[in-house]
Amino acid sequence: MVVAFAILAAWELVTAIGVMASRRPIYNALSLVANMLGLAVLFLLLNAQFLFAAQIIVYAGAVMVLFVFIIALLNPQMDITLSRPSMEWAYGLIFGVVFAGLILALVYNRDLTGIPGPFTPEVIDAFGNVQILGAVLYSRFLLPVEVTSVLLLVAAVGAVYLAARKIR
Amino acid sequence: MSGVPAYYFLWLSGVIFTVGAVGVLIRRNPLVIFMCIELMLNAVNLAFAAMGRYLNSLDGQVFAFLVITVAAAEVVVGIAIIVQVYRAGRNMDVDELDLMKS
Repeated sequence: MVVAFAILAAWELVTAIGVMASRRPIYNALSLVANMLGLAVLFLLLNAQFLFAAQIIVYAGAVMVLFVFIIALLNPQMDITLSRPSMEWAYGLIFGVVFAGLILALVYNRDLTGIPGPFTPEVIDAFGNVQILGAVLYSRFLLPVEVTSVLLLVAAVGAVYLAARKIR
Repeated sequence: MSGVPAYYFLWLSGVIFTVGAVGVLIRRNPLVIFMCIELMLNAVNLAFAAMGRYLNSLDGQVFAFLVITVAAAEVVVGIAIIVQVYRAGRNMDVDELDLMKS
């Protein structure tokens, strides 16, 4: 398990840096696809089978197809950040080191505490991950699910409105 | 238990989040900035799922699911705006898109 995690972590880091630092947008998009697929396998490692499927279908499928399609349609030129000398990289690097150091130190210094819930792996195995997640989603989290559906409707209407409008 | 401590997942999540944040800061192409935002959302999803797993709770998975939904909605609207900016003949550079500043 630890070996699998180490391989996946290295994969995630490499592809994440590819998303951040590749020059051509299509390479950024492909790195992000690889990153999301690796993350889906990490979800599988965490016994989150439904998230694994949702991650692949929604992110690696729908969202990334949208990105790649837009890149092919608009054909944006190379990012000028990397081609001209600037201090942005240095500032970004300093910020990143400080930020990552803060997060890692915080996680390292604080004990992870919390009240364990009732859903041990045995309970989840008895019902099935998708079944028990659906039961929780539509009982305890009914209101957030409904609000999310309204959000999706608003996003769809807004996207159609934006795409149909003529802006100068 | 899968044998991997929860710390490892949180560390990985923090590092991926940082890479995404740095990308948002240093890139200029709005599409790439969007991809880096997706990276940050993914990192948060990983932390949610890991903590849910180690606390024997399903809340983490539910939250990660909601985050995925919100990210999909956000991408749709953001890409519609980017396409409009492109159709208006502007350069794909966030430094030049300062129409709302004045």
